[in-house]
Amino acid sequence: MSSRLVVSCTLVTFIIFVMLPTFYLISYVFLRWDEVWYEVFANPIIGDENWRQIIKALIFSFRLSLSTVAFDLIFGVPLAYVLARKRFPGKGLLEDLVTLPLVIPTSGFGFATLVTWTTVAGLGGLLGMRSGLISLNAVAPFINVPFILFIVHVALTFPYVVRTVETKIQSIDMTYEIASRTLGAYSLTTFRNILFPLALPGIFSGAVLAFARSLGETGATMIVSGVSTTASIAIVRWASEFKIPTAAFMGSLLVFIAWVIILPAEIYVSRGRRAHSLSFSVPMNLTRRIIRFERFLSRKLFFIKDIVPLVIVAVAVVIPIAVVLNSVILYWSADPYTGKIEGGVVHQLFGPSNYFSHLLKATLTSIIVALVSTYIATCIAIPISFIIERRWYGRIIRTMLKVPLIIPTSSLGLSVLLLWGSSGLNLVSSGIWMIILTHIVFSVPVVVESIIASYEGSGIQMYEESARTLGATAYNAIEAVSLPLIKGGVFTGFILSFTRSLGETGATFIVMGRDLTIPVLVVNMVEALAIPAALFTSTYLIALSLVMLAIVRVFTQR
Amino acid sequence: MPEVKLVNVTKRYGRIIANDHINLTIKDKEYISVIGPSGCGKTTLIKCIAGIIEPDEGEIYIGGRLVNNVPIEDRGIGYVFQNIALFPHMTVWGNITYGPRVRGFPPEETEAIAREMIEMIKVTARVDAYPDELSGGTQQKTAVARALMTRSRLLLLDEPLGALDLKVRAALRYELRRIVKDLGLTALHVTHDQEEAMSISDRVVVMRRGRIIESGRPIELYMRPKKLFTANFVGEANFLVGEVKLITGEGSIIDLGDGMKILSRDRSREMGERVVVAFRPEFASLGRTCENALAGKMTSIIYSGDLVRLHVELPNGDVIVVKRSLRLYEPIPRAGDEVTVSVPPENILVYPYPERGLHRELSLE
Ligand SMILES: Nc1ncnc2c1ncn2[C@@H]1O[C@H](COP(=O)(O)OP(=O)(O)O)[C@@H](O)[C@H]1O
Ligand SMILES: [Mg+2]
Repeated sequence: MSSRLVVSCTLVTFIIFVMLPTFYLISYVFLRWDEVWYEVFANPIIGDENWRQIIKALIFSFRLSLSTVAFDLIFGVPLAYVLARKRFPGKGLLEDLVTLPLVIPTSGFGFATLVTWTTVAGLGGLLGMRSGLISLNAVAPFINVPFILFIVHVALTFPYVVRTVETKIQSIDMTYEIASRTLGAYSLTTFRNILFPLALPGIFSGAVLAFARSLGETGATMIVSGVSTTASIAIVRWASEFKIPTAAFMGSLLVFIAWVIILPAEIYVSRGRRAHSLSFSVPMNLTRRIIRFERFLSRKLFFIKDIVPLVIVAVAVVIPIAVVLNSVILYWSADPYTGKIEGGVVHQLFGPSNYFSHLLKATLTSIIVALVSTYIATCIAIPISFIIERRWYGRIIRTMLKVPLIIPTSSLGLSVLLLWGSSGLNLVSSGIWMIILTHIVFSVPVVVESIIASYEGSGIQMYEESARTLGATAYNAIEAVSLPLIKGGVFTGFILSFTRSLGETGATFIVMGRDLTIPVLVVNMVEALAIPAALFTSTYLIALSLVMLAIVRVFTQR
Repeated sequence: MPEVKLVNVTKRYGRIIANDHINLTIKDKEYISVIGPSGCGKTTLIKCIAGIIEPDEGEIYIGGRLVNNVPIEDRGIGYVFQNIALFPHMTVWGNITYGPRVRGFPPEETEAIAREMIEMIKVTARVDAYPDELSGGTQQKTAVARALMTRSRLLLLDEPLGALDLKVRAALRYELRRIVKDLGLTALHVTHDQEEAMSISDRVVVMRRGRIIESGRPIELYMRPKKLFTANFVGEANFLVGEVKLITGEGSIIDLGDGMKILSRDRSREMGERVVVAFRPEFASLGRTCENALAGKMTSIIYSGDLVRLHVELPNGDVIVVKRSLRLYEPIPRAGDEVTVSVPPENILVYPYPERGLHRELSLE
C-alpha cells in the first residue's frame, strides 16, 4: 500500500465523518435561506418572534457563560497554583474531586445539584427546614442568572480551568518565581508580574474551553434551568418542536461564535513566548499602593487561596454527590416524608412504571453507542494524529479539530440529523446509528488530542528515525516503534471519549429517535417527576463514572 | 557590613542530611567559594542563606541580624542562578529594572542605577532585546546586573557559570571577581569546578556529604590540604600507602613496601603508623633530581594539549602519574622504558590511613 493512498483514505474518512457533520449546519442555513428567513424573521403570524427568542437565549447564555468563566478564573487559577506548586496530603484526592464533574454524565450531576439545593432531601432538610434551601428559580445577585444553574455550570467548567492552568504552571520553571522574590517582590507581586503573564496562554485556553463547555452544556442545564432557556436547550426544544430552520439558524450562530472564539485564541497561544508580555503602565504612586496592598495580602491573607477553592469544590462537587447517595438510601422503600411507597425507589423501578427495564435498555444502548463510536473514532484518530505530526497541513487539521470539541453538542446533533437524516442524504434514520455517527464527531478530536499529547512527550520521532536508519520502512517504523509508544495515549483517549459518549445529552436528544441513553433517561425521569427513579439512575451513573476514573488512575499511574 | 554567619545549620530531606551542622562565617567584602562534588549540599546551603529553603536547625545571621524567619524578599540579597532565569517575557531593560520596580523605587532613580549597572557590568546587549536573543554569557551578565540593581551588598551565586561554554566561563569568572571587588560586595560562589574556585576566591570552602571538611586560601588548599579528600578533589594527586619507618630531624621516612622508601618533611605522624602518602603529579619529575627517587616502568603516555602525562608502574604494582609540560628538546621515554621518578620531600604530604579505606575516603559521593 502506498503511503499516499493511506493518507488520502484517512483524509476522506475524516472529512466525511468529522468535518462534514461539523460544518454542514452552516451550509444548510445558506442553502435554505428562504425557509430560515420566513420562519425566523418574517413569519406571517408571529413576525420576528423567533428571532427575538434567539437573541434572548443568546444573551442569557452569554451572561451565564461569562459569569461562570469569570468565577472559574478567580478561584480556579489560585487552586491551579496550589495544585501545581505545593505538596500536601490529599492532593491526589483533591485533583480527582475537581476532575469528577468531567467524568460524571452531566444530567446525573445536574440532578444531584438540584436535589441538594432545592429539595428537602438536600441541604434544606439538613438545616432543619421543611423545604429546599433555595428555590429553583432564585436568582443570584449581580450576575442575574439563576443560582443553581450558575453552581452547576461552575462545577462542570471548573476542571477545564484548573487542570489546564495547573498543567501550564507546572511547565513553568519555579526559578523565575524565586528569582522574583530574591529581587524583593512579595508572593502576590511575583504572581502578578511573573507567573500570571507566563501562564496566560494556559489561562486563556482554559477559559476558552470552560466558556465553550458552558455555552454548549445541555444535560444538566435541562434539569436545573427552570424557566430559563439557554441557547443549547433552545436548539433541543425547537428541534423537538420541528422548528428546524430556527434551530438550525441558532445552531449555526453558535458554530460561528465557536469559531470566532477559537481562532484568535489559537493564533494568540501559538505566537510564542513574547506574545504574552502584557505591560500595564500604571502611575508610580498607584504602583506603590498596589505593592503595599500585595504585601499585606501576601503576609496576612495568602492562606485564603488555599481555603476558598476547597470550599467551592466541597460545595459544588462533594456535597451533591453525597446528598444523592444519601437520598437513594432514604427513599429506598418509601418516601421518608409522606411514607408512601409510590415515592420509594423500589416501587418506581419495579412497580407499574417499570423504570428498571427502561434503565436496562438504556444501559445497553449507551454502552453500544459508547463502544462503537469510540472504536471507530480511535480508528480514524490514530492515522489522523500521524498526519498531524508529519504533514505541513497538520496544524490546520488540528485547529479544525478543535471546533467539534467546543461547539455546543446540540448544534452538532442537529447538523448530523440534517446531514444524514431524511431531510438531507436520507441514509440513516434517527436512532442508535445516528447517535453513533454524532458521537464519532466529537470523539475523534478527544482521542487525537490525547495521542498527540503522548506523542509529543515521548521523543517518538527520534526513535522512528533510528528505526529507519536501521533499515525499517516508514510504515514498519510506525508499526514497530511508534504504535507501542503511543499506546498509553490511545488508551487514555479511548477512556476519555468513552466517558464523554456515555454522558452526552444535548446531541443525543436530537438524534436518538426512540433509542434512549441513560443520561437522557434521567432527564425524562425528572420531567416526569419520577424523582426516586432519577435518584437511583444518577447514583448508577456516578458509580459508573467512578469506575472509569479508577481505571484511568490505575493506568496513568504506571 | 554584610558579614554572614551560619551556626549549626542543618537541613534534612528524609534520611538524607543535605546540610549537617554547618558553621561558617563569611567576612565582609570577602569572595568565598564553596566547592564539593555534586549532591554534597552546596545548593542547599546557599538556598538556606537566601531564605529559599528553611533550615531544620541552626541560625543564620546576615550583618549581625538573625534572619531565620525573614522571608526571601526582605533578606536584601542578590542571587544568581545556574540556569540564569532571566524572565523570558521581559526585555533586558525589563529584567534589570525589575527589582527596583517591585520595590517601588522612583523611576528616575531606577533608570539612573540601571544605566550605571549596565555600564559597570558591561552588558553589551541592546536593552530592548529579549533574553532568548542573547548569548549565554550576556544573559548571565544581565542576570548579575539584575541581582545587583537592588543595591544588595551580598551576592549569592549558585554555579553561575555552569550553563556556559568553556571559553565564556573562563572569561566571565574574572569579570565576576572584578565586579564584586569594584563594588565592595561580599560574595558566596558555589561551584563544583575547583579550578574556577581556586582562581577567583579569597577563600575556598570544601564540602562533602553535607559537611564542611576544610576551608582555606586557594594556595593553602593546593599546597597543604589538611584532608586526603581535599588533596584529591582540589587539583590532582598520587596516593601511595606505607608505614612510618623513622622520624629524623630531616622529616619522616615512609616505607612503601617492596624496598621503596620516601622522605617527607612532615613529622607529625608517629613511628610505625600506617599512612597515605600524597604528591601532585606536577611536582614529580623524571630522573634522579633529589633524594626521593622511585624506580619504575613507563606504561603509557597521554598528551593533552600543552601537557604530557606519564604513567609509571612501581614495583608493588601501583601506578603513579607524572605531569610535565611538553618541551620539544627533552626526549620523552617510551612505554616499557625503565625510569626514575623524583619528588622533593617538601611536596610529599602524609595523612593517617583512613579508617574506611583509601578508596572510599576519596570517592566523590
Ligand atoms: N527537594 C529535595 N528533596 C529531597 N532531597 C533533596 C532535595 N533537594 C536536595 N536534595 C538532596 O540533598 C542533597 C544535597 O543537594 P544539593 O544541595 O542540591 O547538592 P549540590 O548543590 O551540592 O549538588 C542531595 O543528596 C540531594 O539529592
Ligand atoms: Mg547544586
